[in-house]
Amino acid sequence: MQSLYEIETTIKRVSKSQGLSWGISEEAGKAIRSLEQSNLNGLESFKRLIDYGFNNLTKLLQTNQTNTQNLCPIHFGLFFYDQSHKKEIHKTFNFYELREPLIIIPFILKAAKRNLVYFKLNSKDFSLSITPGNIFSLTKGEIPQSLSDFTLSVIPQREVNYSEKTWDELYQLSLDTFVDESEEKKLSGAGAGLTDND
Amino acid sequence: MEINLRKPEFVMKLDRLGSFHQSKLSFLRSFIREFKDWDFYNHELILDNKGFGHGIYVVQKDEKQYSLVCFSNHLNDNDRSDRVIATKWDASFVLFDGIPTQEDIQRLKENVPLQEQGRVSEKELCLSRANKSVRVFEHVVDSLSKGQQPDTSLLYDVGYLYRTTAVYGSGKFGLADRIKIQDRGELKGPFRLEMMLVYLARQFTFDIVNHVAYERSPKDAVKLSDDIARNLGIGNSTGLGMAPFIVNHPALLNQWIRAKEKALQAIRLISTIEENEKKTFQSYLTTIQENIKYWKTDSPYQIEKNNQLLKDLKEFQEYFLNLPIEKSFWNTVYLWAEQNTKPECCEFIVSLMMEVYPDIVEPLSYEMSIDEEEYFDIDSSRNVDDVCKLIEQQYAWLLDINFNQKENIFNFWYYSKNKQEPRMSDRFSEEGSDLELPLAIARDIQSLYRELKTMKSGSDVGSYLSKNQQYRHVLRRVFICEKLPYSEIQDNTISKSLIPVDMLRLKLSFFGATRFDPRSDRWVRITMYQGAPLMKEIKKSNDTWSYKKIA
Repeated sequence: MQSLYEIETTIKRVSKSQGLSWGISEEAGKAIRSLEQSNLNGLESFKRLIDYGFNNLTKLLQTNQTNTQNLCPIHFGLFFYDQSHKKEIHKTFNFYELREPLIIIPFILKAAKRNLVYFKLNSKDFSLSITPGNIFSLTKGEIPQSLSDFTLSVIPQREVNYSEKTWDELYQLSLDTFVDESEEKKLSGAGAGLTDND
Repeated sequence: MEINLRKPEFVMKLDRLGSFHQSKLSFLRSFIREFKDWDFYNHELILDNKGFGHGIYVVQKDEKQYSLVCFSNHLNDNDRSDRVIATKWDASFVLFDGIPTQEDIQRLKENVPLQEQGRVSEKELCLSRANKSVRVFEHVVDSLSKGQQPDTSLLYDVGYLYRTTAVYGSGKFGLADRIKIQDRGELKGPFRLEMMLVYLARQFTFDIVNHVAYERSPKDAVKLSDDIARNLGIGNSTGLGMAPFIVNHPALLNQWIRAKEKALQAIRLISTIEENEKKTFQSYLTTIQENIKYWKTDSPYQIEKNNQLLKDLKEFQEYFLNLPIEKSFWNTVYLWAEQNTKPECCEFIVSLMMEVYPDIVEPLSYEMSIDEEEYFDIDSSRNVDDVCKLIEQQYAWLLDINFNQKENIFNFWYYSKNKQEPRMSDRFSEEGSDLELPLAIARDIQSLYRELKTMKSGSDVGSYLSKNQQYRHVLRRVFICEKLPYSEIQDNTISKSLIPVDMLRLKLSFFGATRFDPRSDRWVRITMYQGAPLMKEIKKSNDTWSYKKIA
């Protein structure tokens, strides 16, 4: 088994050898390391990306980009990592196709945490939610090797994921930790004996 | 009285960094302080009559155990090379997490002697190898086998029986990642495991000469005396591979330098001292002036530095003896040294001042590590005007360098395909500059600055990055330097006038190396643990061993 150090440095060098800048290569190395450390198959995902060729991938550089076919997950992740502090990014975007979406997760996790934003990625067969609390959740199946016709929402505020009824019931239970005050105690509490009109 | 930390633009110049000396903050000394109440013992020593075989040394406290597994193999004289391109060595070492089983030992026996060509596992923590100083080894074994102690003048000229040629850790070649051990209390200081490996390997070198001498002449042989052994360290040959480390780990570099600067500041701030504090300093000064005569080198560069050091120390000695004890004594001493001596002597005096105040200095050794990941991310919401100001403040020294001039971009750093080690070459006569490593910090930050200056005022870093990612690696550094001002060497690391040995010296001084002996401008021999307590007496160590007279 390779150490995480070996994985990070090798991915960094491979990225550089494929024409990425040193700065992006450093980010790629850390991203794949973090996926492997989490038992996610980042290395295989990265290898498929290399086999496909960075030259055949599209870099996401701006929000109004018309060509979003074969998007590179490293540039996609970095774009939202670098830009999601901006208000104009806090909306829903439509994209045509993203290669190896697994690789965006470390970037989006960092973006969510730093900028306190929520990311929701949705497609027909797959959806992914990433929060500032270092938690991501998958619904509707496994992470595919390629994701087509999907949306990414960047949400600046936490959403309500529970019913009013659930909250009310829990709140009532929390009141069980409070102690009823007698009339006598109420009268001898803070401010007792003083006029409030002084 | 207000005394500030010395400014980065003063400290972080290579001529000063390359004049640093070992001190109480050095890692091999903090290793001994941290581990002195652990048990050190030889667990196994299986050698043939020529000293080939293996040994295991254990460091233990309660349930925690570390083992150094040492292999000694036959090596033809013409295969012995200190260069990193060597493929065979007299001895090889691996530090094991726990005590190895027989299966582990067999696996390690098949891999550790191969070093980079072998494979180790996450059970192992550090890897190293060493070659004999053949001249000294043979003399020692011959003398001991005849019942005599060896000639110390020869021994102390060299200073060691074996010298290591590389020490690897932190995930290299399959070793355990740092994350596995980073939360262990005893490993909180930098390079603790590497220091442990070298310390135990030193003991193995003594055990080998004693064993071989005995096998040669069981009736007559005597053991190497403790006094002689104690004054032998373990050598090390270090090349350019070490230099990029201090550029690639800016946050860590900051911690090392800052600890030293905080120690100096605290000592300069002492308002009144007693006569015995001055006497303690003087006693170390006297001893070390004696020991400097054992700093042998053929390097004209180092000879000149050593001669200047001796000359400056002589003048300093005269000044110091006549200096009355007055208020802010150490600040007066320091200011005199800064104004009247070269960096080699000035930094030497700083190290000596630190010896007098263990209570101030030793706690700072716990501030020398850092979680580098915390400083990796770029804050893309920052205003480009602010970043330009940061560069103007922190990197003023590089803004006027003309990078169109050949001598300012003369060298490039690259990774050797043969040994996967960093190297430096002439950009204009050798191939490979298209694969240049990102170590041209000054050049790239100047380019970043020029690009940021073309951005619309008020725009943020994110807007810049959406247009250009070429300088992302140095943009990161600007933000690191904002928080950690001692993180950046303030010299051009690709200029023709660069002396890479200064970069090696900086790192080695923090390791605790002595007797710097540059063999060219690109590699250096040093000694570690000379004078250090032997394994069996480590519990009695009081951390004054660096200033014991050698002979």
